[in-house]
Amino acid sequence: SPRFIALCPTTVSTSSSGSVDEEEQRLRSELRERFLRTLLLMTDKQVQFDMFEKVRVRATFGASDIDVLNFQVSDLETPLGVQKEALLRCHDMISCSFEL
Amino acid sequence: MLQWSDRSPQHWREFVNHEVCVTVQDQQRFEGRVFTVDPVSASVVLVSVQENERPSVRVILGHAVTDVQILRRGTEETERQMKSVFLPDQTQILSA
Repeated sequence: SPRFIALCPTTVSTSSSGSVDEEEQRLRSELRERFLRTLLLMTDKQVQFDMFEKVRVRATFGASDIDVLNFQVSDLETPLGVQKEALLRCHDMISCSFEL
Repeated sequence: MLQWSDRSPQHWREFVNHEVCVTVQDQQRFEGRVFTVDPVSASVVLVSVQENERPSVRVILGHAVTDVQILRRGTEETERQMKSVFLPDQTQILSA
């Protein structure tokens, strides 16, 4: 996506020489693959989201965008009732957790 | 002092497989073993395996992390255990 291309330079321009680049790229792909596997494992599970200001909500995790800015969730339990579908902004979030 | 999210993949990789304590913006702390740090968002994935309990996974968003300290070093055995949680036997290996 154009947004991802726009974000790329800020995340890969930290080193200069070729072999260092390759090593860094290998590390990035290894770390990223593990993160994507975590998201796969989280899919369709009941997840607890800890937001700022001590707000804690539960929902079923659906998907994340590539740059981890928004999470798509279902059946979000809010103090005002259950929201069938919702997007949570990751910037409002401290952490999220689930059991296997 | 570099922020956690501005660190290099080499720096993040040093925490993988070790038991750490992650401090976040409002001084909350989380403990667990690092499975990975997402190189895009700097989010830390922690796994806690307690006896007689199901393993739990916590993703701490990179922007909220202020400090990460290693508590105990991991071993090959802990690495293998953690992989078995995330990568079932039938998982196809997609990268070398």
